[in-house]
Parts: sequence; structure tokens; C-alpha cells
Amino acid sequence: MVCRRSMRGVVLLWVTLGLSVWGVGHASAETTLEKIGRTGVFTVGTRTASPPFGFINKQNEWVGFSIDLVKLVHATIEKKLGKSIKFELKESTPATRIPLLSSGAVDLIAGTMTDTRSRRDSVDFSLTFFATGAQLLVKKGSPIRGVKDIAGKRIGAQQGSTNERIIREKYPQAQLVVFPDQPAAFTALAQGKLDAYTNDGIQLAGLKAKAPNPGGWEIVGEFYSYEPYGMAMRKNDSDFRAIVNNTLMEAIEGGEYFTLYDKWFGLKGEVPYPMSEPVLAFLLMQVVPK
Amino acid sequence: MLFFGLAYELRWSVLWTEGHGGWILEGILTTLKLSALGWIIACLLGMLFGAMRTAPVRIVRWAGAAYVECFRNVPLLVWLFFWYFGAPQVLPQSAQEWLNRHGAEFWSAVAGLSVYHGARMAEVIRAGIQSIPRTQFEAAVSTGLSVVEAYRYVILPIALRLIIPPATNESLNLLKNSSLALTIGVAELTFMTRQIETYTARAFEALTAGTLIYLVLCLGIASVMGQVERSFRIPGLIARVGGAEH
Repeated sequence: MVCRRSMRGVVLLWVTLGLSVWGVGHASAETTLEKIGRTGVFTVGTRTASPPFGFINKQNEWVGFSIDLVKLVHATIEKKLGKSIKFELKESTPATRIPLLSSGAVDLIAGTMTDTRSRRDSVDFSLTFFATGAQLLVKKGSPIRGVKDIAGKRIGAQQGSTNERIIREKYPQAQLVVFPDQPAAFTALAQGKLDAYTNDGIQLAGLKAKAPNPGGWEIVGEFYSYEPYGMAMRKNDSDFRAIVNNTLMEAIEGGEYFTLYDKWFGLKGEVPYPMSEPVLAFLLMQVVPK
Repeated sequence: MLFFGLAYELRWSVLWTEGHGGWILEGILTTLKLSALGWIIACLLGMLFGAMRTAPVRIVRWAGAAYVECFRNVPLLVWLFFWYFGAPQVLPQSAQEWLNRHGAEFWSAVAGLSVYHGARMAEVIRAGIQSIPRTQFEAAVSTGLSVVEAYRYVILPIALRLIIPPATNESLNLLKNSSLALTIGVAELTFMTRQIETYTARAFEALTAGTLIYLVLCLGIASVMGQVERSFRIPGLIARVGGAEH
């Protein structure tokens, strides 16, 4: 009897699950702003080991350029809702960030996520807040000088990143070894298990700056991809997206963006990376008139 | 109705279009290869150290216990990192390079899985051996067999039959634990399903496929082990398992 009852429970569970899956697509979920207002918490997914965008510093604090930018968004949300909202960070990796966003576990991804057309099928992006491109990190003096030299070499990449996909599709002669996180890939590179590690140039600059021996590493090759970073949010929520975008535009226009840029990428910053003229012009032109 | 609180339309075709089917197959093959190798070594280690833990010589028992306690009391994930990042560091440069050219990721995963599950298997086998009455061993030795022969021809054959149900459990755990190998860059089944997920952002479909494939693999192994149990049972000794039919 007990057995039969639990069996019925299991069947019921599956039927419910099946029905809920069936019923999707006709759902009218609450907007992100409504959710934040209801729960009183604004949850952001970011990185823990991608200096200077999102990382744990020596004082064991979770900080970074993306985190500082998203704090501006937090202030706008508080102003808009007219009440104090708790600000929470959650770790998100390339492999977990879209599911975290879709499941509602986080409200915004602000890390090092490249805006791509295929990702726009599942999430919406803010303005581009940083522009970089993929390069290779190698031991100083390595014969690898760019993607043209990687045939037959062991190239490390991070699972779910855009450059992993490019290497897999365009450079099938390279032996791709994919790691779920950057520290594992970097250790493998440092131990000679990889001949090169590929990621966005700025991330490699961050890794190099953080390495025990920064002079022992070289970032080589032209950008073999264009990686515009944007903040990602759930699709079809234009009010929330406007809040994020307006915050970024005001920060670029008002100069806070450049103060933050200098804090993290200036000569005394975590990862010195002066902004090029074209990037500056591109950032300014993203700001539409009031 | 809501599912995870948002609109989500299922698109199962992501599992086989754009070469994703090939990824899944590759993933299954890698998982099976990894688990099979890990399982064979784990069983050998388990038999050796499980038997050692019941040996009549104290130092041998201690050696067996040392192995078991060392390897089962450290998380498998730590062992994987140890065998991949740690252990090769003490090898000469040329050996490290050779390893790197010959799938260091895969073999580190095999090493990690087999020593960890070897320790757990050893405990299962020890339990099997200790469930055999001491008189059986004494009788075997009194016929003129040496201790090793008594183990080889009398004790282990009975113990191995007795432990099939818990050993099945261990084997299934081993197969499932092989998914941890993705942390050191082994492209096994979980890795491949996550790969599909990151390429297509179809988390539900990709992970459901992964779930079902593990389920099928595990059910397959469990039924094979059930078959083994039935065909090798010793009538009168462990035939009671058939009693449930009456």
C-alpha cells in the first residue's frame, strides 16, 4: 500500500513536471524590476578570478571594474524604486551564466561576457562597456607568435567562451584542451601542460599581472576576434534594460566611467591597459542624447 | 504555468543538429573508457588491499589499512587535481613532456578514479571476506594450501560472489564520479552536455539528455551485474537471493 502510494506520488510529480514544461511559452513572468522590488534584493552574477573585472583581491574582497559599474546600476534601481535594495554578488562562469540568468538566480550578468548575435537569442545585452579581442598567453620566448602557429599545439581555453568556439571551429589542427575555469587553465599552462592559453587580451593581461612572475609571460598575436563586453539580462525586459543602459550612458557622459577605468586600468591600476583612441570614440558615440 | 518562473520553449533538436550528436557520442565513449579502465584498476586494487586487510600478518593488515584510509578520506576532486597538477611535478622534465603529449588529462583522471574507488572497493571486499566463517579459511589451510593459495582458491571466489550487490553500487558510483574529470579538461559526457549548453544556451535540453544517458548507462550496468550475480551464485550458500520469487 505504502509502495503504491509513493508510486502514485512519483507519477504525479512527473505529470506536474511534464505539464509545467508543456505550459511554458505561455507564461507571463514578472519583470526584473518587479522581482527586485518584491524581494528587495538585486543579485548580480560576476567572476571571481578575472582581474580586474571581477576577482577576489589580496584582502579577500570581491571587487572589480564590472562590479563597480554594476554598483552604479544598483544606485539607479534604488532611486527608481524609492527604497533601499540589498546588493548581492554570485559567482557566474561562462558555462553557468546563462542558466543562472534564465532561472532567475541572478538578475544581471556583469563580468566579462562578450555580446554575440547568437547569445542575443537567449539574453539581452546592455551597451558595450569594454572592447577587447582574443590573443594568446605564452611563456616568454615561445615559438608561438599568434594563431597562425598553433597547429598541433596544445591550446587551453575556457569552456563556454567565445574564443574556445573560434579555435574549435576555425583552427581544428590545434589540440584544444578545455577547462571549466581560468585558474585551472593557467596552472596547466604554467606547468607546461599547455603550449598557450587563449582568452580575451585584457583577461590575459590580468592573468599576467597577477602571476607570481609577470615578466615570464607574453601576450602574443593580433586580436583574432572582436570581444565587446556587455551586461546580460533576461530577454524582453526593456524597462530594466533602459535602467542599465542609461546608467552606463550617464557614467560615460558624467566621467564616472573614466574615473573607474583609471582606478582599474590606469598606470597604478590592477591591470594597466590604456584606452585606445578608437575605443574612446566608440564609447562616447554609444551615448545617445538626453 | 510557469517553469523556473520564465517562458522557455523546448527545442530538443539542439541535441543532434550542428554535430552535437557526435559530441554526445564522443562524450559517452570517453566516459565509458574512463570508467572501464578506472573500474578494472579499482577492482584489482580493491582485491589486493581488501585481502591484505584480513591477512593473518599484522604488518600486511596495516599496509592495507594505510592504503584504504589514505585514499578514501580525501575528496575525489582533490585526488584528480593531485594526479593532474601535483604528481607530475616530481617527475623528470622529459617524462612530464611525454605525459603531456599522451593525454595527461585522461590518465590523471583514470589514476584518480581508480585509487579512490580502489580504496572503497577494498572495504567492500574486506566485508565480503570477513563474512566468511574463519573455519572455512582454517579448513582450506589444513588441506595443505598456503595462505595465498587459500585466498586465491577458496576465500576470494566466495567473497567476490557475496559482494556483488555492494560492488555494483561502487561501480555505479565510479561511473557517475567520472564526470568530475571535466574539471581537469577531460571531454567526457558531462563536459559534452555542458558544451552543448554553452553553445546553444539550451540548458534544460542538454542537461536532461545528460541525465537520461547516465540513467541508461547505470541501469545497463546494474542489469549486467544482476545477471553476473545470478549465473555465478553458489547454490545453498547465497542462493537465498532467489527467495523473493516465492
